[in-house]
Amino acid sequence: MELFVIPILIGFGFGFALQKAGLTYYRNIVNVFRFTDLTVIKFMMTAIVVAMVGVFALNAIGGMALPVVPATYIIGNLVGGLIFGVGMAGAGF
Amino acid sequence: MLSLLRQKQWSPYLAGVLLGLVYIVSIWVAGTIPGASGAFENLGGLVAKVVAPALANNTYFRFVMPPGITWEVIMMAGVIAGSFVAAVLSGSFKLRLVSDAQWGRVFGQAIWKRWLAAFLGGIIIEFGAGVAGGCTSGLAVGGGLFLAPAAFIFMIGMFMSGIPVAMIMYRRRY
Repeated sequence: MELFVIPILIGFGFGFALQKAGLTYYRNIVNVFRFTDLTVIKFMMTAIVVAMVGVFALNAIGGMALPVVPATYIIGNLVGGLIFGVGMAGAGF
Repeated sequence: MLSLLRQKQWSPYLAGVLLGLVYIVSIWVAGTIPGASGAFENLGGLVAKVVAPALANNTYFRFVMPPGITWEVIMMAGVIAGSFVAAVLSGSFKLRLVSDAQWGRVFGQAIWKRWLAAFLGGIIIEFGAGVAGGCTSGLAVGGGLFLAPAAFIFMIGMFMSGIPVAMIMYRRRY
């Protein structure tokens, strides 16, 4: 039961935040590549900063375990990003 | 509070705080960074098992992204529910064949155009996420909060290709 409830609740918050930020709309995604609307950047950077402070504070105070950090393999990350950007700007996802 | 929930769109900073809290809870409670693209790879692996078993047995599906109803897949059900509730609360939920007004203005109301772009774009996005090791959620935000170089290399790549693609698609309207 717990196996299902936790990811669904986390996903619920995730989807709620994305919808309220407007990231589910084509225009908001594509306009960041046209530099006419930086919603995506503002949203993502705020999330990064909030999560960064919270995670490391909990780690320092409560000894919360840190998860596996995404691996860095420069060529793969860059080429993957290049491919990803084509789809993101083209489809607006 | 209720009027806030009914707003069509929040300030990106407010929504960003909510997303940041979701990441904290996920890492705290589940010990994992929430990611969106993984779910489609796990489900894709399940499909591959049925239609092309040899393909499902390759290194990627065996060691990197095992097929199955994983944590990410279950989370994706929550994502759909969460965005649906958010849209219904603000009255912005609507079934549309051409999903966005801006798309309609620029590329016309032809359904096939939007659906083709969505379909091809979806394939390209998933493939790119597979190569990069994550997407905007699992890699860019999830790695970014640990200042993982991967996250920033990925975002650089994303803009290096996204900007010219938008320029080509919008031409003089860019």
